Amino acid sequence: MAQVVIMPKQGQSVESCIVTEFKKKVGDKVSVGDILFSYETDKASFEEESKFEGTVLACFFNDNDEIPCLENVMVIGEPGESFEEFAPGGASSASAAGAAVEDASSGTVSLRSTPPVAPQGSAPAPPLNVPRVAVVPGGTSSTAASPRAKRLAAEKGINTSLIAGSGPGGRVIERDVIAAAASPLSGLAKAMMAEGGLQAPAAGSGIGGMVRGSDLRQASAEAETASAEFTVEKMSNMRKLIAKSMYNSLQNSAQLTHMLGADARKIQALRKKAKKALEEGRIDANVTINDFVCYAVIKALQKFPKVNSHCLGDSMRIFQTVNLGCAVDTERGLMVPCIKHAETLSITELSKALKQVADDCRKGSINPDLLSSEAASFTVSNLGGFGVEWFTPVINLPQSGILGVGTIVPRPKDLGSGVYAFVPYLGLSLTYDHRALDGGEATRFLKQVATEIENLEIDF
Amino acid sequence: MPKALYIDPEVTLRPQEHELKLPSIPVMKYNKTVKEEIESGRFSKEDLLRIFRDMSYIREFETMLNLVKTTGGYNGVPYNNPGPAHLSAGQEAAAVGMAYALDTDDFIFGSHRSHGEILAKGLRSIQILPDEELKKVMDEFWDGATVAVAKKAYSGNDTKELGIRFLLYGAMAEIFARTTGFNKGLGGSMHTFFTPFGIYPNNAIVGGSGSIAVGAALYKKVNRKKGIVVANLGDGAMARGPVLEGMTFASMDQFNTLWEGDMKGGLPVLFNVMDNQYAMGGQTKGETMGYTFPARLGAGFKADAMAAERVDGYNPLAVIDAFYRKKAYLLEKKGPALLDVVTYRYSGHSPSDQSSYRTKEEIEAWEKEDCIVAFGKKLIEAGVADQAALDAIRAEVNANIFECYKLAIDEEVSPRMDLVKQDELLGEMMFSNQSIDSLSDAKPDVLMPLEDNPRVKQIAGKERFWLDKDGKPVSSMKSYNFRDGVFEAIVDRFYKDASLIAYGEENREWGGAFAVYRGLTEAIPYHRLFNSPIAEAAIIGTAIGYAMCGGRVIPEIMYCDFLGCCGDEIFNQLPKWQAMSGNILKMPVVVRVSVGSKYGAQHSQDWTSLCTHIPGLKVCFPATPYDAKGLMNAALQGTDPVIFFESQRLYGIGEKFHEGGVPEGYYEIPIGEPDVKRTGKDVTILTIGATLYRALEAADILKEKYGMEAEVIDARSLVPFNYDKVIESVKKTGRIIIAGDACARGSYLNDLAANISEMAFDYLDAAPVVLGSRNWITPCHELEEAFFPQPSWFLDAIHEKIVPLKDYVPTSNQTVAQMRLHARKGI
Repeated sequence: MAQVVIMPKQGQSVESCIVTEFKKKVGDKVSVGDILFSYETDKASFEEESKFEGTVLACFFNDNDEIPCLENVMVIGEPGESFEEFAPGGASSASAAGAAVEDASSGTVSLRSTPPVAPQGSAPAPPLNVPRVAVVPGGTSSTAASPRAKRLAAEKGINTSLIAGSGPGGRVIERDVIAAAASPLSGLAKAMMAEGGLQAPAAGSGIGGMVRGSDLRQASAEAETASAEFTVEKMSNMRKLIAKSMYNSLQNSAQLTHMLGADARKIQALRKKAKKALEEGRIDANVTINDFVCYAVIKALQKFPKVNSHCLGDSMRIFQTVNLGCAVDTERGLMVPCIKHAETLSITELSKALKQVADDCRKGSINPDLLSSEAASFTVSNLGGFGVEWFTPVINLPQSGILGVGTIVPRPKDLGSGVYAFVPYLGLSLTYDHRALDGGEATRFLKQVATEIENLEIDF
Repeated sequence: MPKALYIDPEVTLRPQEHELKLPSIPVMKYNKTVKEEIESGRFSKEDLLRIFRDMSYIREFETMLNLVKTTGGYNGVPYNNPGPAHLSAGQEAAAVGMAYALDTDDFIFGSHRSHGEILAKGLRSIQILPDEELKKVMDEFWDGATVAVAKKAYSGNDTKELGIRFLLYGAMAEIFARTTGFNKGLGGSMHTFFTPFGIYPNNAIVGGSGSIAVGAALYKKVNRKKGIVVANLGDGAMARGPVLEGMTFASMDQFNTLWEGDMKGGLPVLFNVMDNQYAMGGQTKGETMGYTFPARLGAGFKADAMAAERVDGYNPLAVIDAFYRKKAYLLEKKGPALLDVVTYRYSGHSPSDQSSYRTKEEIEAWEKEDCIVAFGKKLIEAGVADQAALDAIRAEVNANIFECYKLAIDEEVSPRMDLVKQDELLGEMMFSNQSIDSLSDAKPDVLMPLEDNPRVKQIAGKERFWLDKDGKPVSSMKSYNFRDGVFEAIVDRFYKDASLIAYGEENREWGGAFAVYRGLTEAIPYHRLFNSPIAEAAIIGTAIGYAMCGGRVIPEIMYCDFLGCCGDEIFNQLPKWQAMSGNILKMPVVVRVSVGSKYGAQHSQDWTSLCTHIPGLKVCFPATPYDAKGLMNAALQGTDPVIFFESQRLYGIGEKFHEGGVPEGYYEIPIGEPDVKRTGKDVTILTIGATLYRALEAADILKEKYGMEAEVIDARSLVPFNYDKVIESVKKTGRIIIAGDACARGSYLNDLAANISEMAFDYLDAAPVVLGSRNWITPCHELEEAFFPQPSWFLDAIHEKIVPLKDYVPTSNQTVAQMRLHARKGI
């Protein structure tokens, strides 16, 4: 019997994924463990392995389509077996979309029943396929659409909330839907259009003229083209997401940064001890300076719960636990995975956890739930390894603060009795949201971090 | 302003007489006894007993209604009558005396308190109509439905006796809102009437009959019909504008100075004042009026004081005596006449009136003088009858009333309309929707063959399209224009329908203030086209009376702003009578209303919306010569009241749309069909009236500068209105502006917009946008651009509310925020 391959749900907050490439086409033979397709969420990419053996009988989507989680994607079975019944929404077109619902109790997937056929003589039934909702990450586009636009959108299977309106007050009007419907758009293309600033060509390079993400062009009349002086590279989806959230952060909060140095002699000593302990096999983690700093931050946060918080505009979410976000630089761009309940971890456990999420990010296998800015209660971003002394990190909203960790530089210090010496100092840059915290509290917290660093006691 | 009448300064400034002498007005002069009257041969015994009987019928009828209203039943048979009952007990001698002298051809019009007059006139008509004719009237009325029930109250073979049951039952059934009533129960107590007996509508508006009855007299005169017209009015109505205007209209000198041939002479109308001493709770003599007696009014209107007399309305013979004399006077073409009939009402204004404004002693003193009791005594004194005979008459009367009462309240034999199950029934009665070439069999009175008419000749030399054969615009003098279109339709009907008359302020030599009628003076005799006094209530009121009697008429209101002066006639009378009569009456009145501009706040208002609001009126507002002629033809071919608006901005405009120009021959444009003046795909503009041309200017700019093609639809008619073309257009364009010159707030523009929103919601790309005038006074001409919708406003509105135009800078503020601000301020 034919088996259906669904789009896995990668974390609670993920509602849909974009297929980056189908590795198997209709007619290909597949074995268990073969990669069927690769796909990505907002921040991570995955590969779907086949759990079945057989031949690909059907594939309901194209590369770059956005597919709701749990939607049927492919059918694998013996040649000749029927597969139409698995088509999303009961439609046979490869580009048709449908909806599947999850049976919450069993975790299995069942197809939503087809809407009843309208009785003869009545008005034509609305299109069977409710347009699928393409997620606009962080999108808050206007939902106002004229009745005419809605009607046309329903006919064309277009979601008006994904269209940037050109009517009065940004209302989606008919011409916007016509433009959006000029040719079928892939899910990715729709999502990219929703970001604004792009125009779809009359016909795309996909099957049946479907417009793919790569077909979209700058909306401006004089679209950017390469010249002798520069090349034009499209921003990746992830780049655009980062851009948007960073921009939003600076637009929507009251950020400022305090900078303070911490005497690093203690943690430098601890680092030496830890290295020795690792070499001697007493511990199984390479505990870095950053790990010690994070450890100190966790301790400080427990003493300053208001810093360990989310600012929600008219209320505060004060965390009883420390979910520590940690900025990770990857080839795909900045990612900020989170370590839940970090205060329960020992220094070596913390060190290993930090390494694990960083590796997962770089591999693209991180659990998307851990990437949400809502997941962490406070974030640490370390640029010390690049020699940066101070900087002004940008808060990952709705968090109330972020600590930027700089490099260690020797600074003169009064050791008492008129004796000055160069002492290694660690640069700490605390950006906080003045809506959430006042300068005094932020400063006391920052000082506490320094104190924790200067007085950290750990036995290896 | 006829040239025939020379205003001689010699005579005017230096008259021979230095005193305006008013004739003396007789007061209560009748003094004959019953015996003397019998001896003179005026009355037989039977006549006198019938007078007694008829008064008794009225008394018992009103007593029955009073008991129903105040005790919830009559003779132990319960009934609840929630409707009005303005009773006239006490006034029987005045009513019966009035009716006695009248033939069936003589018409009476009444007031809210006219049950007695209806019964008196009905009983008199039954008496004098030949049995065969009476039978025919009854058998044909509602296909015999009413007489069929009346027969249950009378099984004999006497047609007149059956006629009495028919009358009593028909009136009661009407008052109790039954389909077998004289007006299918749609008129009720205050509007009951029965035209085959010469009983024309009563009127719930005090004084309403004051001008309508004059129009009926005008109809009789112009159409050479027999009989006179009596306007039965209360003394309270003597304060009402329509009465005073009706008297003015009826007293015009021109009937004697300018009307020619057999048309020379006064109108056969008698203003008969039922002077019952009270105007609701106000006492006319001594409190609310200053006339001593209503009879004094006659001196204000006519040199012979309208032959006014004050007569004893408590003695039927005194009233009859006066009526004989007034009728003769009217038939001598000396009218109008005025009678002041002294009477008294026992009951209050209505049964809910506790008569707190008068003493018990006063009522009792009048009851001692009771007209029926007193007349009975006189009959006994004269040996006409003994008390037993009179008692027998009253007993028979009472029994007949009771029998008819039981039938009239019986749901089985006297059902009401079921407007819930048949929810379109009343709607279909609002208009008669007939198509009739002529309402008269007579040969139309005209002064020359149409082709000899100078205006007709002038028009023949004009280009009927605005461009000549080479496509160049024709000069305005050479161009067939809007007023030519209206003229052609009207002159055509004048030569087709002898009943058609037209009048208003400056309708004759001047040719109307806007020259539409130029040339008509030469073609049409005075009695069909004349100048009226500046009395809008009378202009419309008389037209209503004229049409009610079967004639076609075009009254003119010179400026739309003057509609308020005939508010009651336009809003309460003209639209109501077709349905309120149970469709017995037709109302072929085409009211020409000119919509001004340039003349400031009281001469530049578009009040089409007021007319569209009132059910029962058809409303047109053409904007092109072709449409004006076609719609006027349709209006004049129909049988419904049409308010025909004409814009003063457009009288000189040529035909720019109809290919081949305005046809020379007859054609009709159905009332209610909008017309697509320009096709387009991007936005629809629906206009009312002259705004069409500003919309077209806007459409030009939209096309030239923004590449948008506007579809421009001219509403042409407002009621009825076929939305098909508009909805079709909106389905295409998704966008619509509805524009006109009426002040935006509360205008019909909003009505159209709301309906279009409902009918085409799913097709709309933006809410329908209303573009009306500002909610201000109309400023002077130099400032009008800020008031009336301008071409730029269309673009502004499109930009702000429908679809932003590229690089557009609005000139006026058409934003929603501004609307809210204005609404908050009430401007």
